[in-house]
Amino acid sequence: MYEEPYRWVEAVANRRQYLDDQFTQGNPLIAVSCPQGILLLTVHRGTPKLYEIYDRIALGGMGHPADLEKLRFSLLDLAHVEGFQRSPSDVTASRLTKNGVAPVVKQAFEEIFRAPYIVKILLAEVGKVPEKDRIFTTNYDGLFEECSDVGILASRKSVEKALYDEWKKEKAPESLEVALERALRLWGLASLLQGSFPSEEVGDGEGSQKVESDRVSLPDEEAARQRIQEMLNKETLECVLLDRTVSIMETYRVLAGDELHVLLPAAFNLPLRP
Amino acid sequence: MGGQGDFFQLLKDQGYEFSCRGNERGSVSATAYPLTTGTTVLALKYQDGVLVAGDRRATAGNLVMYDRTDKVLEIDRYSVLAIAGVPATAFEMARVLGHSFKYYRRSQLQDLSFEGKLRALSTLLKNNVPAALAGTGAVVPIFAGFDSEDGIGKIFFYDILGAEFEGVDYAVSGSGSSTIRGIMFYLNQWGAGPISEYSEEDALTLALRLLTSAAEFDSATGGVNTQAKLYPVVKRITAQGVQPFSVDRLKNLYTGKVAGHV
Repeated sequence: MYEEPYRWVEAVANRRQYLDDQFTQGNPLIAVSCPQGILLLTVHRGTPKLYEIYDRIALGGMGHPADLEKLRFSLLDLAHVEGFQRSPSDVTASRLTKNGVAPVVKQAFEEIFRAPYIVKILLAEVGKVPEKDRIFTTNYDGLFEECSDVGILASRKSVEKALYDEWKKEKAPESLEVALERALRLWGLASLLQGSFPSEEVGDGEGSQKVESDRVSLPDEEAARQRIQEMLNKETLECVLLDRTVSIMETYRVLAGDELHVLLPAAFNLPLRP
Repeated sequence: MGGQGDFFQLLKDQGYEFSCRGNERGSVSATAYPLTTGTTVLALKYQDGVLVAGDRRATAGNLVMYDRTDKVLEIDRYSVLAIAGVPATAFEMARVLGHSFKYYRRSQLQDLSFEGKLRALSTLLKNNVPAALAGTGAVVPIFAGFDSEDGIGKIFFYDILGAEFEGVDYAVSGSGSSTIRGIMFYLNQWGAGPISEYSEEDALTLALRLLTSAAEFDSATGGVNTQAKLYPVVKRITAQGVQPFSVDRLKNLYTGKVAGHV
C-alpha cells in the first residue's frame, strides 16, 4: 500500500511522531566551545552517551543505546581507516557526519519497512583556535546542522532552536567554568522541556490534525536550577572536554571527580559517590 | 570485527596488505639495491622509569641518506617504539601500532594491556618475515612502555621473526649496538651502582655517552653535531607518560659531560 505517494508520506509522518515520542524519554546533550576547547555535557542512568571517535573528535548521542553503539562502531572504523590510509588531519567531523552518519540515518528513516535509528547524533571537532571548532548535530531523519560554538540535542527541533537563540543572547564563554555553567543551564532548560509540548489543531473538521507548536516558552531560572540539582543528586553527570591546549594524545578527557567538583558552579553540590 | 577492536583485521578487510611479499617473482634483492639501514637505539631503566634514545642517521650502503631521522617513535601516551632496520617498514609498523592501540582503546573503552601491545608488535614482525628474509624489510625494534597494571616501566626487544625478550635492565638494537652492549654490561655490573638506580641526569648523560661511543665505531650511527644543533632523540617514559627531552637540555649535558673529559 506504500506504493501510493500519499501513503508513503503518511507513513513517514507516523514515523516522525513515533520517534518524537521516543525522544521525550531521553536526556538532552549540550556541547559548547570555549577558549580551552569544547565541553560536552549530558546525564546518564547507566550507559555513557559521550565517546571518543578520533584524535580531535568526540561523539555524543541521545536515544537508543544499541543504535548509538552501531553508529559509533561504523564511525570508529571510518575514522581510523581514513586516518591510517590518508592522515589524521583528513579525519573531520564534517566528513564523518556527511559520509558516515547522515546518509545511513536518513536511509533507515525513509525505508519504512525497516526500523529507523532511534538516535540523534552530535559530533564535535576541536580546532587549534575556537574559530576552527566544528559541532555537527544530526537529527533522526538524517538532517544535519553545523555550528562552530554550540550544539544541542533535545527532544524536539523547536526546543533546540529556542535554546540556540538563548545561547546566542550572550557572548562566547571566556573560561571553562563559565562554559560549564552555561551548558548546565541549557541542559536544565532542555530537560524541563523534554516531555511537554503544546500542540495546535490545524485544519478543521475531518481533516484536522494535531501539529506540534513551534512556540517554545523557556521555563524560569529557578525551575532550571532545581532540575539541575535534582539531576546531580540522582543521576550521573557526564562531562567530556576536548582540550585544545594539550597534545593530540590527551585531547579527549573525561571530567570527573575532583576536577569536575572544582569546576561546578558554587550554586550546586555534587554529592560524593562511593 | 569492529566488535573485537582489531584494527589489523579491519585494514585487511579493506584490502590493505602490511608486508611486501619478498619471495614472489620479480622481488628485489637486497644486495642489488642498498637499503637504508644502520642505527643505534637503546632503552634503559633508571629510577623514574625508562629512558629511550636513538641516533638520527639513516644510511644506504656507504651513503648517508639523512641525518635527522627520528627513530624513537611515540606509539601512544605510554609506549615508544625504537626502530632499527629498514625505515620504510619500521615507520609503517609504528603507524599500524599507533592506530591499532587507539582503535582498541576507543572501541573497547579500555586500554589495550601491555601484553596485548607486545603481542601486536610480534604479529606485525611475524607477518613481515618474508620481506625480512628477502632482505627488503628486516626490522629489529625495541618496545618500551609503562605498564600501568604493574606500575613500572618495561623494556622488550625483538628478533626479526617476532620473538620477544624482556630487557631486565636495558636493551640495545641496531648496527652500533654491539659497541655499547659491552659498556652497559660492565657499568651495570661493576660501575658505581646498577643503571636502574641512576638519576635522570645520570641516565641521560649515559645515553648520550653511549650513542657517542657507538658513532665512534659504527659509520652507520650518527653522532652529535653541535654546529648543526643535531642531537639524538631521547624520551623518557614514566607514570606520567612519554616525554621527550628538549634539545637545550641535551645540549647542556653534552657540552658539560660528554664532549670532553670530565
